[in-house]
Amino acid sequence: MKLSPLVVLGMLATLGAIRPALAVDHDNIDADRPLDFDDAETIAFRERASEVGAGLAQRRGGKLGLASDVEYLYGFAKNWHLNLGVHPSLLGQEGQSRQFDVGDLAVGVQHNFNRETTSTPAFGFRADAYVPTGRGSRGTDFRLRGIMSRKFGRYGRLHLNADLNVNNSPNAGERRTLPGVLVGYSLPLGYPRRFDRTLVAQVGMRAATMSGDSAITNIGIGVRQQVAQRSVFDLGIKSDIAGGGNDRERFRVIAGYSTSF
Amino acid sequence: MKYLFFAAALAGIGFISPVVAWAAPGTTATGNNAVREIPALPANMPAWLNSTKNNEIFYKRGAYNFAITTIPELNRDMNGVAVGHALAYEALVTGREKSLETTVWKQIDQVLKNAPRFMPSEKTLSPTFGQKYGVLELVFDWTHVSHAQTIDLLSSPRFDNAAKDAETEKVWDYYRNQGAPFTVTGLPMNMAWLDSQPYSQAFRRKYPKVNALFWGYHWLQTSIYDGLREKTPAEQKKMYALLGKRYHDVELYDTKRPFMPMMAETSPLFSAKYPDIANAFDNLHMLHDMVNDILASDWMTDKQKSEQIKRAVYMMSPNAHKGCKPGENHGVIDGISHDHRFMVGMPGMGIMKNGINNAAQLANLEMKRHEGMNMGGMAMHSAAPSTAKAEEFDPTRLMWMPKMGWMDMSQCHHCTMPLTGGGDNPLSAWQNSTVSAEGWTMRVRCALCARDMSAEAKGGAILSLSTEDPHKRVIVFSDDRGNLTTDYKGAVFLEDEEKGGHPKCSQWSQAFTSRAAFDAYVAKNPKFKDSKPLSFEEWANVEAEGTPDTYEQEKGPVENPYAADLKARGIGTDEGEKP
Repeated sequence: MKLSPLVVLGMLATLGAIRPALAVDHDNIDADRPLDFDDAETIAFRERASEVGAGLAQRRGGKLGLASDVEYLYGFAKNWHLNLGVHPSLLGQEGQSRQFDVGDLAVGVQHNFNRETTSTPAFGFRADAYVPTGRGSRGTDFRLRGIMSRKFGRYGRLHLNADLNVNNSPNAGERRTLPGVLVGYSLPLGYPRRFDRTLVAQVGMRAATMSGDSAITNIGIGVRQQVAQRSVFDLGIKSDIAGGGNDRERFRVIAGYSTSF
Repeated sequence: MKYLFFAAALAGIGFISPVVAWAAPGTTATGNNAVREIPALPANMPAWLNSTKNNEIFYKRGAYNFAITTIPELNRDMNGVAVGHALAYEALVTGREKSLETTVWKQIDQVLKNAPRFMPSEKTLSPTFGQKYGVLELVFDWTHVSHAQTIDLLSSPRFDNAAKDAETEKVWDYYRNQGAPFTVTGLPMNMAWLDSQPYSQAFRRKYPKVNALFWGYHWLQTSIYDGLREKTPAEQKKMYALLGKRYHDVELYDTKRPFMPMMAETSPLFSAKYPDIANAFDNLHMLHDMVNDILASDWMTDKQKSEQIKRAVYMMSPNAHKGCKPGENHGVIDGISHDHRFMVGMPGMGIMKNGINNAAQLANLEMKRHEGMNMGGMAMHSAAPSTAKAEEFDPTRLMWMPKMGWMDMSQCHHCTMPLTGGGDNPLSAWQNSTVSAEGWTMRVRCALCARDMSAEAKGGAILSLSTEDPHKRVIVFSDDRGNLTTDYKGAVFLEDEEKGGHPKCSQWSQAFTSRAAFDAYVAKNPKFKDSKPLSFEEWANVEAEGTPDTYEQEKGPVENPYAADLKARGIGTDEGEKP
């Protein structure tokens, strides 16, 4: 089955898409940096941040390729931020040579409803639109993500992300709506002796692009390392371990850098 | 799956209630066989005290941010402070208070000795504390940002002294004017009253070692302002070699300190020039103490603790003191002190404990209000000197410091002559010199007073000598043998006591940035036409003459106003005499 670039982008969006969060601190978890989940908190009002990432990825039956992401965040109001981003890639479909694709332009907002208390988790949501600027892309796609973050253990935190992806221009046999759920975990490493590193891990499930394919299960693990007062380096690996069809990704190794200004 | 999102969103909305529900005032609680009255909550506490919004605001942008990293040891020590605060708070609210003086203290001490390179996130280190007292955490965080930025600014080699002064005002404005309600007032507050709540002093009595750490952090955070001011990067590094050693060797472990370190005791020049900022930081540190005491008061329930913490936050907020001005005293209204008088000669310092009953004075004012003064809601009467019997002693005139005794903040601490400009005029704050030694920084009136006072101090000292230029000071380091050195090239000194005796020391004992500046001064003051311009080496080797004949030791209403407090902590009171 051949997949259009739009579908590929849709799959990538489902995998990791465009999300922000606090870029300046290793404790603040942010989708794509390096895994797929967000925490419920936004960046601060008037904060600006940029995030970049690059790595190797290989889809099932495809060639090893390059994937990257660039994103800009701005806290435009208290508990709100805006994000703009693209996901350029050099990937190949099964039996095809690799092609450069600048990717769709993602525009989104994230909102945090509340701070975590003893009785209530932190809740937030984000909404993203994917403008079809990528190779062969058509129609604007959307994603809505509900986020809940909660202390788990002494210093750890659990992050539940519930996604609803809307593919506005599906090809025959493709789903129009693709739900997904991710459970992320973050744990600062080294407390109470060192304070500059956080372990992140995730397990998730999402609907496959093709309506006949079973849901895709993915896992990932990574680390966020503070490298300067306002900068974090991250490294992670994730993989779809079960389900899906050609939209299943064997693995993705990603390294990234975030900074605020 | 999509329903999950909507459920999460709706659940989130449901937890952002602005409703404020306060407990009935004046309830009592028992503890240690004593019945104590829990302070009533003010009637109209603002809704933001119950908000669960994050409301984080980014700090003011500036090329000076994180300039503290140019002094790596100071940077690490400040990062260690954040860890210390957070670990202690987390232990207090997670049932580990019994290990506070042992295991937790050791953990904190280990971190302080191996402090991190980057500022850790306090809310990640103390997640349960953040869950329970989120608004308080916002107040702490936002005010700590202002603390950090002003220190960054003073550390920055990219700004000259005049630019630092201008930008300091902007940082303060930014702190107050970003629509964040969770700020701390810059008004002077009556420290004695704040430290006489039913729960006051519980923490320092139960956890003396951890309390010493807290006060040690606050000593560093307050001392560093005058420590950094108007020094070159090289001088700043030398300064911190001395100050940092004192911090690690003495201040972190001083369990006998009678009261928290105040900005004016450790950075009087900064406090005189920026009284609002100094007061805000003192109020922040007092809020820390009040929260510590509340959390250490087992006779209160968790709910009562939470309410008293909100009351304490409110007491320190600008909201609670709308319309009040520095220097005014409106007594206690609705359970909150509006005594904003400051110590004579020091606008950056609220009234300190002095042995008379400040609380009684304030209660007296409140009684008068209820007896018929038409206050019109929260309206104030004009600056009201109290009228109770105890006020035969002016509580604003004298304060007491360990090993220094009673002192008048408007006077030179070496010769007790009035400071130049009276000490309380921000515009003339630069005209006075200072001596930093033994954990304190004192203002003095002239270069001779600075030199001779440093000779009396134990250990090393730093002299910051004013010159004719508001933004240039001659920085002098004294080693523990009293040898003086400076990096300042070309400084010239005037010292001619025969031209007026010590009462006129500020005229005949001065430092100048250059020979030309000396000559200009002599041209304006012909009586010095025969006075010899002294090089630094000549000036530094003048034999100290000891206490000047103008010196008069002040006497307060009691020998040591902290005697009872210290006794309750099992500490002797023989520290009140001047060495």
